[in-house]
Amino acid sequence: MPAEASALQTTAVLDALDIGIVLLDRDARVVVWNEWMTRHAGVTAAAATGGTLVALFPGLAATRLPAAIEASFTDGSSSILTHSLNKLLPLRDETGKELLHNAIIRPVAAGSAQQCLLQINDVTVAVTRERVLRERQNARYRAIVDTAPDAIITIDSDLSIQWLNVTAGRLLGYEPDELIGRTLDILLENKNDLTASFLQLPHGPGEAGGALEIVGRRKDGSLIPFEMSVARWKADDRTFMTTIWRDVTERMLAEKALRQSEAQLRRSNEELETRVLERTREREVALAQLYESQKMETIGQLTGGVAHDFNNLLSVILGSLSLLKKRLPDDPRFTRLLDGARQGAERGATLTKRLLAFARRQELKLEAIELQNLVPEMVDFLRQTVGPNVQIAVDIADDVAPIMIDANQLELALMNLAVNARDAMPRGGLLTIAGRNATTDRGKLPANLPPGEYVRLTVADTGEGMDEATRKRAMEPFFTTKGVGKGTGLGLSMVHGLTAQSGGAMDIASEVGRGTVITLWLPRAPGEAVERPPPTAIEPVRDENSRSLRILLVDDDVLVSMNTANMLTDLGHDVLEAYSGVHALRVIESEGTFDAVVTDYAMPGMNGLELALKLQARDPQVRVILATGYAELPTNAPVDFPRLSKPYTQEELAQALERLFK
Amino acid sequence: MSVDVLELTPIERDAFAEIANMGVSRAAASLRQMLGEQVLLSVPAVHIVTRETAAKLAERGSSSRLVAVQQAFEGPFSGRALLIFPEAQSLELVRTIIGADQSLEDVIDLEHEALAETGNVILNACLATIANVLHKTMRMSLPTVIRGDGAALFAAPPGGGDLVLFLYIDFTIKSRDMHGFIALLMDLPSIAALKEIVQDFIENV
Repeated sequence: MPAEASALQTTAVLDALDIGIVLLDRDARVVVWNEWMTRHAGVTAAAATGGTLVALFPGLAATRLPAAIEASFTDGSSSILTHSLNKLLPLRDETGKELLHNAIIRPVAAGSAQQCLLQINDVTVAVTRERVLRERQNARYRAIVDTAPDAIITIDSDLSIQWLNVTAGRLLGYEPDELIGRTLDILLENKNDLTASFLQLPHGPGEAGGALEIVGRRKDGSLIPFEMSVARWKADDRTFMTTIWRDVTERMLAEKALRQSEAQLRRSNEELETRVLERTREREVALAQLYESQKMETIGQLTGGVAHDFNNLLSVILGSLSLLKKRLPDDPRFTRLLDGARQGAERGATLTKRLLAFARRQELKLEAIELQNLVPEMVDFLRQTVGPNVQIAVDIADDVAPIMIDANQLELALMNLAVNARDAMPRGGLLTIAGRNATTDRGKLPANLPPGEYVRLTVADTGEGMDEATRKRAMEPFFTTKGVGKGTGLGLSMVHGLTAQSGGAMDIASEVGRGTVITLWLPRAPGEAVERPPPTAIEPVRDENSRSLRILLVDDDVLVSMNTANMLTDLGHDVLEAYSGVHALRVIESEGTFDAVVTDYAMPGMNGLELALKLQARDPQVRVILATGYAELPTNAPVDFPRLSKPYTQEELAQALERLFK
Repeated sequence: MSVDVLELTPIERDAFAEIANMGVSRAAASLRQMLGEQVLLSVPAVHIVTRETAAKLAERGSSSRLVAVQQAFEGPFSGRALLIFPEAQSLELVRTIIGADQSLEDVIDLEHEALAETGNVILNACLATIANVLHKTMRMSLPTVIRGDGAALFAAPPGGGDLVLFLYIDFTIKSRDMHGFIALLMDLPSIAALKEIVQDFIENV
């Protein structure tokens, strides 16, 4: 290739290059200036050739470029001048934007001549790419740290704040600029907190210490509790620490609330346990009471039933004996035997009465009674009962309200109690009978008593007392501590039955060696007390000449019916017997009216009261006597018929009939 | 090759140390110009050692993570010149040169290029001075930046021998608590050539 063609070829190649090429001769004048230089420096090759670079661009005089060019000639050194440390040529791209560029200066030996080659590299793209990458990375990084709910603050080893995230400024009330360069102290209540924790930090890079409880100080001086974690790291031989601050105000409050509610819960639990214990105790007591009352109820039903049958039998025996006595010759031998038999039967009748009292099936004549009158009236009688060794004190308060009770039964009860007291004080002592109005306060009444107005009647002795086991069984019928044959075991049972049937209650308090106190809770009478009528004198038995009546006798028990019929016949009456209510109605149907009807109450099918009501419906003038063994009549009986309490004697029967015709 | 070739006589050692010191002094002047800070130099140490020993010497007293600007030189004797820093200090060095007004991020972006250029200035000054003192012409390549431990920096090129001339000069940038050093590595043929040149130099002095 000819030299001229070769030069042309070289020029074409140089112009095609995508870097700037400048060749300088030993005098630093431009020999080659390629198309890239023309395009970006805005100087044509023709204009550039032959001049120095400093002449073309005077700004270059102040740069290292002339020295680097000179050194390539004198020392053979290659140099690089980068955009990072130098601002070289005023190069621009097609759009007029400044080009970032590096220059490489190399010595070139062209034969004997020394030349210097400048290569200009456009690094704009690379630099831009790096910048974009960095910004993108930064954006991601900022997205993380600035959206973090925790404050992040970087400090150096002098605790000087280097950097902080948005949350840090917001939590602590500062603008970020205000904090950069300040020491961390201003954000802390106590500087020592942090210094101590830094000393404990592990020294490896990136190792974090444990969380630290600190108190932060806001710009306005208010304090916030934080949990801080600290990690140490190094860059360029310098130590930094990243502190992450978590606001634990809410958690502290929650923990406080939790502690309080735990304490509350513990207290509630304790209270609950106490209450459960109380309730359990109460329940045990109630169960024991229920058991007791069920036991008494069962015993009552049993004894009531037995007593009822005995009553009938005793009626027959007594009736038969009284009739027998009339018909037998008046021989003292007969009379003594008969009296013995009659007394035995009467004692049996008394026993059954007590049994019925305990079973709450005796017939009670409830009336308003004033203890102020009743008790003193009894004292003389009681004194005889208890004997000279026992003193009696009566202490009935003046304001004690009238009570609703059967007076005779109450007297009997007091007598039973007095006898018990006497037996408990064989060497004498004091018997105190006291009466007080009882408060309606529920707590002071026995558990089984409904709230209401009561009078408390106490009978206290100074005797031997009883142990707990005895006290518990004391009210059971037939339970007695007295020797065989000395007590029936029915005394306290009767008192118990009476109080219960009267709507009251009975309570026994006793201690061995210290005496016994029996308390009767008796319901107050509504309104004023009535004057107690004096006991009516027993009227003489009607004589033989009295009017003969036509009587219908109704009883399902043939033995009782026969006995009563005998008594009535003996009294001179005409008797027809019927064995049931229905039978009685049939008899009346066929036999016409009777002067009187004596009917048993407890009968299968139609009972005595029903029969009486039917008869009354037929004939309002009908005279009916109801014979009852115990309180089996409904209290709301619509019509009050005269009653005859079983067992009855011929005299009692006669009196009942007599009253019928008064 | 004879045993004496592998050893420097005391006079050779002193002469070469002095020549090297002149080069590094000029390099230090260039660095001072760039930093605007005073740069202190140590007395040069000159040894013929194995590459392994050279690597250990380079790591001495600092972290094994190093960064070096390396330039090859060719002429009557050939080899490589290295400007070596602990890697942890390189960013701070660049930051000092570029100026504190630049953000750390910008410094990171520019670190590689700025380091190459800075090394280029220093190594050019050093090598050019040595060439000038010895009245020899040398060609120097463009700088490259290497990161790694001492072994990586002093790895033998393909076919290169194990022994090297290790010239070592510490420099300290006083106010920055930074230090680095310059090392020249030459293989045996170059050492032999250098010995001859130094011999001539001594005779001509």
